Order: sequence, then structure tokens, then C-alpha cells
Amino acid sequence: MRCEECSDKLDRFVDRELTNTEALEVQLHLEGCPDCMEHYEFQEHLKRVVKHSCDCDTAPKAFRDKLRQILS
Amino acid sequence: MAEPAAQTAFAEEALTHLDTLYRGALRLTHDPDQAQDLVQEAYLRALRYQHSYQQGTNMKAWLFAIMRNLFWDRFKGSRKDDVSLDDVGEFVLYDKLRDEGARPESDVLDKIAASEVVAAVDKLPPLHREVVVLVDVEGFSYKDAAQALGVPIGTVMSRLHRARQQLQKSLYDYAVESGIVRPGGMTQVSQQ
Ligand SMILES: [Zn+2]
Ligand SMILES: [Zn+2]
Repeated sequence: MRCEECSDKLDRFVDRELTNTEALEVQLHLEGCPDCMEHYEFQEHLKRVVKHSCDCDTAPKAFRDKLRQILS
Repeated sequence: MAEPAAQTAFAEEALTHLDTLYRGALRLTHDPDQAQDLVQEAYLRALRYQHSYQQGTNMKAWLFAIMRNLFWDRFKGSRKDDVSLDDVGEFVLYDKLRDEGARPESDVLDKIAASEVVAAVDKLPPLHREVVVLVDVEGFSYKDAAQALGVPIGTVMSRLHRARQQLQKSLYDYAVESGIVRPGGMTQVSQQ
């Protein structure tokens, strides 16, 4: 696999959207290519940071209770 | 008309997805009150149209679709002509940090406050923002995100890619403004 192809597949690799065979090919390339590995680690880290920054908002309890009332 | 018991079971299952819907509504409206209104209306609509939900399919994606369609109808007058994102290039933040001698992975992302990351997400145009919310925050597969947004998987992928480039640009700009990164110089080691 060339770096260009690896780079094209990086989003799908980070999002676990590749087939097992494709993911293995990317994994093998990453292990032999420090540049692509750094890109990958950065993308993975960014995804984690976005998730943890946004997912602490939860529905207020009073709102949940109100909805349960309305819907029952 | 559904039996009361069946209706309650449906409502209970639907409510297990409340946090996902509420977070999505919050990111779309930027306002807790509007988010609650939107989510409440989405649940009422879901209950009314529960016969159109197919058992065994993804209820979370189905509910999200109802919520975001309401958002676009109500707040955007169905206008989905979104501001398009300029092509800011590949790996903007990453490449710039590298050029400036920072260690991209370890140094910078962890120094950016969560509230700034949220602000960067909120600054994305809504059609791009909702893809990031679904895939990155809520962990939807591309297929489920495509279902929730009513677009092909290819559109999910291209919007997501653009959105991530734009996020990196916003975070880089913030890192420079706040002194976490000095343009053209060294990264500050400590953050006091
Ligand atoms: Zn490579
Ligand atoms: Zn980190």
C-alpha cells in the first residue's frame, strides 16, 4: 500500500468502517511508515477529544421526568 | 392505535436514547430551552408515528432523523442550502504543528480546553456539525448516520472529512490566539 492510499482510507480506519482485510492492510502500512502512523494517531486523538468534549452534556433529570409523564 | 402497554414499552425504549437526542439538539440549536422543545416535539411525533418505525432497525437513528428534520423545518425553514466549507487542505492543524516543531500528538490537543473544542464544533455549518455529532460524539456507523440524515453514505464521508479539516483549522487558530502555539515559533512547554 502506498501512503496516498493509506491517507484515503484513514477516516474509515479511524471510524472502524473498513473491512477486516482493508483494515489489516492499513495496519501493516502504518507499522512500517512513521509518517502515516503519526497522522493516524493524531486523527484518532482528535476524534477522542471531540467525543469527550461533547458527550458530557446529558438531558436534565427534570426534563427526562417531564417527558416520561407526557409520553405515558 | 397501540395498546397502552405497548405504547409505554415503546416510549420507554425511545427514552433510552434521550441523551443522544438532547446532545444533538443542543449542538444544533445552541440553546438548552430550544433543545428541550425540539426533543419534546420529536418524541411526541415519534409516538404518533410509531407504526412507521420498523422493529429491528436502529431506533436511535430513526429518532434522531425525526429530531433533526424538525430542526431543519422549524429553524431553517427547510432551507438546507448550507454554508459550504472551503477546502482548507489536509491535516491542517497537524501539518502546521509539525512545521512549527511541535509534537502534534502529545503537545497540543490535550492543552485545548473542552469548551474550546465544543466551540469549534458549534462553529461548523450545521450540515457538517450534525455528521460530527453522530459519528464522533455518538459513535454512529456511517450507515446509521446516513439513515439519520437521509443522505448516501458517500455524503456522510465527504461531510465528515471536510468537517474534520475545518475543526483542525479552528483549533489551530485557537491554539495560536491563546498562546498554546506560537506561529512560526516553538510550542510553549507549560500552560500556566
Ligand atoms: Zn505511509
Ligand atoms: Zn489526549
